[in-house]
Amino acid sequence: MPSLKDIKTQINSVVSTKKITTAMKMVAASKLRRSQEKAVAARPYSSRLEEMLSSLASSAASGEGIIKLLTGTGNDQNYMIVPVSADRGLCGGFNSSINRETFKLVKSLEQDGKNVQLMPVGKKSRDFFNRVMKDQIAESFIDLNVSNSGYDSALQVSNKLQDLYFNGKFDKCILVFNKFVSAISQDVTQQQLIPLDVSESSKEVKEDNNDAKAIYDYEPDEETILKDLLPKNVSIQIFKVLLESDAGEHGARMAAMDNATRNAGEMIDGLTLKYNRTRQAFITKELIEIISGAESI
Amino acid sequence: MATISFDLVSPENLIFNDEVGMIIVPGKDGDFGVLPGHSKVMSSLRPGRVMVYGEDKNLLKAFFVSGGFAEVNPEKCIVLAESVDEINELEKATIEKEIQELEGQESDTTKEELSIAKAKIDALGSDFYQKI
Repeated sequence: MPSLKDIKTQINSVVSTKKITTAMKMVAASKLRRSQEKAVAARPYSSRLEEMLSSLASSAASGEGIIKLLTGTGNDQNYMIVPVSADRGLCGGFNSSINRETFKLVKSLEQDGKNVQLMPVGKKSRDFFNRVMKDQIAESFIDLNVSNSGYDSALQVSNKLQDLYFNGKFDKCILVFNKFVSAISQDVTQQQLIPLDVSESSKEVKEDNNDAKAIYDYEPDEETILKDLLPKNVSIQIFKVLLESDAGEHGARMAAMDNATRNAGEMIDGLTLKYNRTRQAFITKELIEIISGAESI
Repeated sequence: MATISFDLVSPENLIFNDEVGMIIVPGKDGDFGVLPGHSKVMSSLRPGRVMVYGEDKNLLKAFFVSGGFAEVNPEKCIVLAESVDEINELEKATIEKEIQELEGQESDTTKEELSIAKAKIDALGSDFYQKI
């Protein structure tokens, strides 16, 4: 039977753990609010850009150079997978679900005989893939800190990706990230980044302004604009994904810490009960000893 | 007089959104003014000033954009800019320092930054379009 002192120490340690998790939860909650605001603020740009792009995309035939971001290289052999995780842990299944999904994707692509390279973003996925498939990592990005450094962090990733793409290192690029659904739920999502998948968004536009869109004047001309627009779109997409993932991370951490706080509370209750019972048992035992001692005289 | 709705958007947020009388936009092939009822144009931009005027042609705001795109239709003008600074908030000394640092570096990105910084200086020095 544990002594009273042992139980007391245990209770104290759980109490201080609970304090930490409560504090982490509050920090995550306030960070979540900030990064949600950022994600919302970034939305107008990306939606307008998509609109512009989809009205231009139909005019692009196959071509060389930058247009390849839209039309693809014509091959389907080399894949670049970009898992986007957090830099820190203690956020539930947030990072491990990204790693698991990416791992599955890589394995299934490899079974189809494709070559797969990885470009992990975030410490947690970099560390994971450093362990399991080190030789396939083309590049990795950590400590991007999108909520402070903003758009520049997305540019870093985007420039590197486009650099590799135009050097013919890969034909298709897929992002794996946590889509922010609400504060407590994130969806692991795969998005094809290169070549650009305009089929869905352009369809909508075609339906509602089929006749209106041909009237635009282009300055200097359609192709030049498209050439400017496409690389920018890649960066914006990455920026959007980084922001979503950032918001998702704080949401996940908040939920995880909320759970931990609750568990700690339950544990304290249980331990306190045990402490009181043990104390009562000691008192009873001492009383019996006194009484039986008195009786025997 | 009629007004046209004008949006100035950067990747990080929506910077300006209001009904205005006229906007001057630095198009790739030259500045162009946008009045209500402008024909549909899509243009890419060079680094330069975006000037926003009220209904009676008084200058409301002046921005510096480092490039981007503009989409114009009769009711609306949207400028998507990579980075936006309000002209009043730019400081000549810091930009000149930046230019000094960038000069002498050879890579493509620093050259681009250099040309943007030089355009900033030009924009600060010029008083075109202040009054029309």
